[in-house]
Amino acid sequence: MLKSNKMIKEDFSIKLAGPAGMGIKSGGQLFSKFFQSLGFYFHDYTEYPSLVRGGHNTYQATYGYQKVHAPHQKIDYFFSLKPGHCRQHQNEFHPNTLVFSDKKNPVSKGKFINLPLSQLSSQAGNPLSANIICFGIIAFLLNQDKSQATSLISKVFSKNTKTNLIAFDIGYIYAQQNLKQYQQTLKIPKQANQAKAQSSAGGRLTSFNDGNQAFAYGFLQGKGNFYAAYPMTPSSGTLHFLASRAKDYNITVVHPEDEIATASLAVGAAFAGARSAVGTSGGGFALMNETVSFCGMSEIGMLYYLVSRPGPATGMPTWTSQSDLLYAIFSGHGEFPKVVIAPGDQQESFDFANIGLNLADQLQTPIIVLSDKFIAESSASTTDLSKEKVIVNRGKILNSVTKNFKRYNWITRSGVSPRCLPGTTNGQFLANSSEHNQFGFSSDDSIVAVKMQQKRAKKLKTAKILAPKPRLFGNKQADSLIISWGSNKGIILEALKKLDNFAFLQIRTLWPLHDSIKKTIKKYKKTIIIENSQTSRLGFLLKSLFSFSPTATILKFNGRPFFPEELIKKLK
Amino acid sequence: MKNQIYNYKSKVVPTWCPGCPNFLLLTGLQQAFAKLKIPNHNIVVVSDIGCAGNISNFLNTYRIHSLHGRAIPTAIGVKLANPKLTVVVVVGDGGAYGEGLNHLITAVRANYDIKVFVANNHLYSLTTGQASPTTKTGTKTKSTPFGYALKPIDPVPLIKSVNSSILVENVDSKNSPKLFKKITKILNHQGFALLDISQICISFGKSL
Repeated sequence: MLKSNKMIKEDFSIKLAGPAGMGIKSGGQLFSKFFQSLGFYFHDYTEYPSLVRGGHNTYQATYGYQKVHAPHQKIDYFFSLKPGHCRQHQNEFHPNTLVFSDKKNPVSKGKFINLPLSQLSSQAGNPLSANIICFGIIAFLLNQDKSQATSLISKVFSKNTKTNLIAFDIGYIYAQQNLKQYQQTLKIPKQANQAKAQSSAGGRLTSFNDGNQAFAYGFLQGKGNFYAAYPMTPSSGTLHFLASRAKDYNITVVHPEDEIATASLAVGAAFAGARSAVGTSGGGFALMNETVSFCGMSEIGMLYYLVSRPGPATGMPTWTSQSDLLYAIFSGHGEFPKVVIAPGDQQESFDFANIGLNLADQLQTPIIVLSDKFIAESSASTTDLSKEKVIVNRGKILNSVTKNFKRYNWITRSGVSPRCLPGTTNGQFLANSSEHNQFGFSSDDSIVAVKMQQKRAKKLKTAKILAPKPRLFGNKQADSLIISWGSNKGIILEALKKLDNFAFLQIRTLWPLHDSIKKTIKKYKKTIIIENSQTSRLGFLLKSLFSFSPTATILKFNGRPFFPEELIKKLK
Repeated sequence: MKNQIYNYKSKVVPTWCPGCPNFLLLTGLQQAFAKLKIPNHNIVVVSDIGCAGNISNFLNTYRIHSLHGRAIPTAIGVKLANPKLTVVVVVGDGGAYGEGLNHLITAVRANYDIKVFVANNHLYSLTTGQASPTTKTGTKTKSTPFGYALKPIDPVPLIKSVNSSILVENVDSKNSPKLFKKITKILNHQGFALLDISQICISFGKSL
C-alpha cells in the first residue's frame, strides 16, 4: 500500500465510482488493461445495483508486482466521476489516498483533490468521457509513457477513438498543470518485457478474464458443444461470450423460453452425445432441479454452471454469496449420486469447466460447478486461456454394440455402464425417468429397484477418485488451519501474504467430500472456517459428516466478498 | 427385412387397458417407420409421462421417457445435438397443452424439426381421471366434482395463430385408416409438425 509519495511498494489500488451509464466498468478495465500491458498482475471487483441508469457503481482493482489473488479494500487513487460518490467509501481511504472529485465534499480521510470533471468533460465534447479523462490523469500521476496509453485507447475503443484520445489528452494536460506535486514514478515490473514476449506462449499470466469468460474458454477448450442458458445475473456473461463465439467454434448455444426448457434441452443434447452444459444462478437452478434428478435416474451426464448470488428468492441479484452450497449438494428429489465442484478463482473456473464436462461423461450423472458473483464477474490475470490445452475424457462410449444391449448393465465396479449414442446400430435403449431394468425398460420389481440404486450409488466412490482433491496452502507446519472453499481462496491467499502462522485448506470438491479432509483437519490445534454465508453451510456439512466443529467461524453475508484486510484483522 | 414392422417393436407387452386407442398410435408409428424405411437406430422417440408416455417401453428405437411436460424441449435438445436423427415426441394432452404449453409454443415459433403426436383423451388418465386442458367446460371429474370451470384449449387454431406455416392437424382415432395416413404425413414433413389425436379413455372417459 502507498505509504509515501516517493515510490509505490508492492502494490497499489485504484477505484472509480459514479452512476451507472458513466462507463465505470469500461473505464476501470481500461486502467487494468494498461497496467497489465506494463507487466503488472491485477485483480478487479465491481459493484453495481440492479438498474441500467443512475445508482452507484464502482470499479476497483489492485495491481501488483506479484500475483494479486484478490482486490484490497484500501484504495490509493479514488475517482468520483460525478459529485457525491465518495463519502460512502471513506472507510476505504488511508491518510495518503488521493480522492479526486468534482466540488469539495467534506471527506475526513485521505487527501481530497478538487477535480472539475464536468468542466473537463464539456471541454472534451462528451459528458461521458470522465472515465478517460481520469485515465489521462493516472497516466501522468504515475509518470507513464503517453504513446503506450493512447495506443491502448485506440485498440480498446476502435469506434470513438478520436473523442477518447481528446479526453485522454485533456486529463493528462490538466494533471501536468495542476497535480505535479502528486506525481511519482512507477517502477515497471522487470518481467514486463519478458511477459510481453511470452504472452503468445501462454506461460505467464498475461490474459484478462473474468470467471464467466474463463469458464466459457474452459468449456470451449474442453470440447463443450452444447450450451443452454436463460439470462440470469451473475451467470449471463458466459452465455453472452459463448453465443458470440458459437459460429467460430461450430457449437450450439441456445437461450430457450425458461430454465426448465433450458435444462431439458441440455439433457436431450447430452443423451444424443453432446458435451452439454447449462448456466444459471440460484433461482434458475430451482427450476432446473427436476432435470438434476432426471439425469441421476437416467444416468445422463451433464454440467450445471451455478453462479450463486444472495437469496432467498430474487435476493440481491448483482451481489455475491456462498449460501447455495447445501442447496446445490442436495438438489433434486430422490437418492442419486452427484458431484459439486467449486472453483476458487478465474483460472480454476477454466479448469473446472473441462473437469466438469469430463466428470459428466465419466460418471454419467449430474455435475455442478458452483461459482459465485465475486469470481464470475471479477477479472484477474490469467494465462492465455484461448490457447491453453486440456485433457478431454469422454468416458465409456461404445461405437458398436450387439443386439439386446444392456445400457444399464449393473455388473460394474465403478457404477458406470458403457453407453452408446443414438445412431449406433443395435444400440436402441430407453433412457428412463422411471426406475428401470438393465435395458432401461420400466420396472418396479423389488430386486431390480435395489440393484439399480446400488449400482448408481457406486459412482459416488468413483467420484472421490476422479474429482479435484483438496489443496493445502500456506504454512503447513502452523498450529492453525483455515478451512474454506470457492471464491474465498483468493482472498485468503492474499491475506496469507501478511500472515505466516496459518495453513489453508481449500476444499475443491464439496460433494462427495474427500476422505483426506478429515485427516487434515485433525492435524491442527486451531481451525477456522471462513464462508460467505450467514449460517456456515460448509460448517454444517463437516459437522454432520465428520462430527467436526471448528475453533472459530468467520462469516460475512452482506452481499460483499471478504477483503484481505478484514481477514488479516480477524485472524490476528 | 430390416425395416419390417416387428423391428420397431420392443419385447415388452403394452400395459395399456385392452382396447385403448394408444394401441392404434403405437401400430401407426411402427407402420409409418417401416413404410418410410427409417432405420430404428436413427430414430429417437421422446415420450412424456402418463399412459401415452409409456409408449417408449413398447418401441424398439432409441427412446427417452422424459419428465412431465418436458418431452418437447428434451426432443429439441436431441435434434439440435444430432440433426441427422428423426426425432419424435409422444405426449398426452396434459403434457402438451398444460404442463408443457410454454415449450410447445416456443417449438412452434422456432419451427424445430421434431414430430409431435398428442394422444388427446381430454383427461388425465394414469392418475385415474382428472380434468385436463382439453376437458369440456362443465365436465365433472375427480378433481372437478362440480364441473370443470375453464374453457378448453383448441390446439389446432391455437398453434396456427402462433405460426401459420406449421403443419398441425387433428384426427379422430376412431378413423384408424385416416390416423395411419396422417402419422406418415407428419413424419414426412420438413420442420415442426403436430398431430392432435382425439381419443376416448376407455376406463375413465366413458362419461365425457
